[in-house]
Amino acid sequence: MGINVLFFGSLTDATAVAALNNVAAGDTAALQELLHQQYPALRTAKYFIAVNQQMIRENTTLKTGDVVALMPPFSGG
Amino acid sequence: MKEKKLRNIFTEGPIPAQKIADDVQHHSGKNDIGAHSIFLGQVRADAKDGGTVTAIEYTAYIEMALEKMALIRENLFAKYPLTCMHVHHSLGTVAVGEICLFVFVSAAHRKAAIDACEELVEQIKQELPIWGKEIVSEQLSYWKENK
Repeated sequence: MGINVLFFGSLTDATAVAALNNVAAGDTAALQELLHQQYPALRTAKYFIAVNQQMIRENTTLKTGDVVALMPPFSGG
Repeated sequence: MKEKKLRNIFTEGPIPAQKIADDVQHHSGKNDIGAHSIFLGQVRADAKDGGTVTAIEYTAYIEMALEKMALIRENLFAKYPLTCMHVHHSLGTVAVGEICLFVFVSAAHRKAAIDACEELVEQIKQELPIWGKEIVSEQLSYWKENK
């Protein structure tokens, strides 16, 4: 078990996948660093982060089973 | 995790124009309503580099969008004297000229219905995790940006 990561909108152009399972990361900053190494195009992308559907602004501790969503600016309607 | 029933807002594909008439008809028995305010979003054929938009493909973080929508709904009911509020947003492909968003707010009087409807549409666009991909052709698309 680890962290589940979801990618949305334009970010899926950078990752080519919609989700990653069982990612090992202790907090959101470490997770971002890991993802930026794996998908360099994410480095320059603008996105928000939600942990278990709550938007976060600062580095947040993660535990097994958490769902982290990377979301570009919304464009519904 | 708290368990609660979340009201769905998503419809696969376009929202049929007939649904709007049907929903108005369904409210005829609610005798405390004096005003309906309706907003309809339609897919526009924007000019892009390399062609014109032919459709928008919508995706969403559905669970989060429904949670957020429930909060928006609760806040608007607390702020305005409303009778009811219905939101329908498309997922998947919606062609130019078709309806992708149907917002229907009802109240005893027009001012609450109109103000709440406007605020609701703004919040849907700004706060719900939904993304539109503007399709020009099979080879060319652009991620939509809300102004």
